Amino acid sequence: MSFIPGMGILKGMALTMRRFFAPKVTIRYPEVTPDIAVKYRGRLQLLHDEHGTLKCETCFQCAQACPIECIDMGGTDTRGRYAVHWGASETYGERREEAALRRAGREVPDPTYVRFEAVDTAAVDRILEDHDYDPHRMLSILEAIQAEFGRLPVAALKQVSFTTGSWYAMIYGTASYYRHFKFEKTIEQVAVCRCTACLMQGGGRLADALATGLRTGLGRVTPDGRIRLAWLPTHPDGAPAPVVALDGEPQPEVTPANAAAWAQALVGEHPATRTVH
Amino acid sequence: MAAYWSRLSVGSRAFLVIVPALLVVGAVLTVAIALLLGPVLDFLGANMPLVRFVAAATAIIVMTIPIAFVIIFMELKVIAAMNLRVGPDRVGPYGTFMSVVHGLKVLAKEDFTPRGVDVPIFTLAPIVVFASIPLTLLVIPFAPGVFGQDFNIALLYFFAIGGMSVVGLMMAGWASFNKYSLLGALRAAAQAISYELPLTLSVVGIIILAGTMSLNSIVQQQAGSLFDWNIWKQPLGFLIFFIAATAEANRTPLDMTEADQELVAGFATEYSGMRFGFFFFAEYVNVFVVSALSVVLFFGGWNAPFDWPFPVTLSLDPGGLGLGLVFLIALAPVVGTIVLGLPFWLLSSRVSTLKALVIGFILFNLLVVGALLGWAFVSAAWVSGLAWMIGKTFVFVFIFVQMRGTLPRVRVDQLMSFAWKWLLPAALLNIFVTAIAVSILANR
Repeated sequence: MSFIPGMGILKGMALTMRRFFAPKVTIRYPEVTPDIAVKYRGRLQLLHDEHGTLKCETCFQCAQACPIECIDMGGTDTRGRYAVHWGASETYGERREEAALRRAGREVPDPTYVRFEAVDTAAVDRILEDHDYDPHRMLSILEAIQAEFGRLPVAALKQVSFTTGSWYAMIYGTASYYRHFKFEKTIEQVAVCRCTACLMQGGGRLADALATGLRTGLGRVTPDGRIRLAWLPTHPDGAPAPVVALDGEPQPEVTPANAAAWAQALVGEHPATRTVH
Repeated sequence: MAAYWSRLSVGSRAFLVIVPALLVVGAVLTVAIALLLGPVLDFLGANMPLVRFVAAATAIIVMTIPIAFVIIFMELKVIAAMNLRVGPDRVGPYGTFMSVVHGLKVLAKEDFTPRGVDVPIFTLAPIVVFASIPLTLLVIPFAPGVFGQDFNIALLYFFAIGGMSVVGLMMAGWASFNKYSLLGALRAAAQAISYELPLTLSVVGIIILAGTMSLNSIVQQQAGSLFDWNIWKQPLGFLIFFIAATAEANRTPLDMTEADQELVAGFATEYSGMRFGFFFFAEYVNVFVVSALSVVLFFGGWNAPFDWPFPVTLSLDPGGLGLGLVFLIALAPVVGTIVLGLPFWLLSSRVSTLKALVIGFILFNLLVVGALLGWAFVSAAWVSGLAWMIGKTFVFVFIFVQMRGTLPRVRVDQLMSFAWKWLLPAALLNIFVTAIAVSILANR
């Protein structure tokens, strides 16, 4: 067909005519919000000018616009005010505090040099000896450490790593995988059992009532960061169904009906930490 | 007296001044009209061609404004749709006021005259460019009886006046004191002269067939159905005419005069504000003019493509209703509003009574306007003719806009060689073939 003069023009006109009737790709933004996947991660990038200096002027407009507050900054900018750090708040969360301190003109602590608190390593050594220094029995070692200290201190885990020769990352991974381990002493654990019997007898309603009363969700901590709501790993022996455990102690008097009030009373024990909405 | 006056409120003072003043003015006007109406009407009747010319010129100059706005809006919206965009949709319903706002923006901009320009010529150039376009509109017949002037040399006049815009472009380019402007203007001149030849020669076939250069007669000769149009007799002529007209109107792909990538903005580089706007105003009106001429010459002008299948004749005599007419005028809006609003009021409890009445009123008005337009379309020849003419013209305007959305600009040497090596011989061939065919058919 290409030998017919003007055929290309006609083809082009036909193409634009088809496009004319095709659905349009424009999103009328303020009225229509685009359908963005929950796990979408926009890629952040800082731009440099032709001299290699950062174009960022630390105006905080992007940080204010960011809906999930994942952008933050601090340090020296192009006018020598702040050094610009940026990124997700999980990795740069402490910089938020830094920036706030620096803006307030106060001394900024350097978290790199904040050492973990020391613990009595003799107890750790005893536990390890009981377990024959065997890294394969890491779960029971960690459980014994938690029973000893009430939590898993970083110093104890470092000691385990140093003595048994297993990687700290592996130990940390094991410790963070199981929900009944905890790293901070201050967090109380309110745990709901999720065995079939409990769920059949209203375990779900119990969990919902607790979440309402504690103003948090399952697997998360209360707004004051003091109480964690979690699942129990196993059903406690001899406890009725459904059951709630407070720091591993079954609380048989808590039922789905009074769970919310019970949880509120638990939060209300510390009125100083009550959050204001 | 002054004491009373000072005690009056502002509104009372205004009332006391304005009402007597209006009475005096009204009396004077009444007397003046009574005395002068007869002589003025006699004078106008004696000089009918002059009156007709003034009225037509005014109408045509006023007409160019909505035409340009509609075409600019079409261009924004149609090209956006072809780019899979939505286009302007913020100003007015569906963005319809976009081109108006655009025009206001251009009007409000600073009108700047650079140092070094030839001021009188620089100032005159946009006027010359713009003036040539409405002057060509003057001879185009829009409907039976709706045309500015019916020359017997209308086609010649059209091309002569149409070529005048090049003078304006040349003035603009030369007076601008800018090399890009001068290049654009020289390109405009070269292109216009090159394409003027095939453009004029391509319609010679039609002139041979029609035996006249009057556009009115050419349209009347195409009366009948779709197959009586000149496009079937002069397909090659139409092709050449359309390509050359694209170049004449400075439209993509042949808009060498503008060529922003090469010449900044061509002849318009040094212009700003409304003087810049005038060039593009002229360009958009020119698109309409060229489309209208294509329709008149090749696509039957105001003639419908088929005989109206329902020979409706409405012989309404409202006077026959007598006193009923008064009741109709008084009651029809009220009854219509209530009847049309009632379904909305009944169907949804969320529609309040007032809202239902407003909906009914709007629907009634739409109904009446639609009925009036339909009645005018059926009974008045010039209404249906105008509708067909404008409809066909805007089909061509759409094609021009689509070409701008589709085709890339050609190179300047390709442009010139295409005109001289292909279009001109083809136009000559068209004339020879037409002449031979006409002479054979006439002698048989």
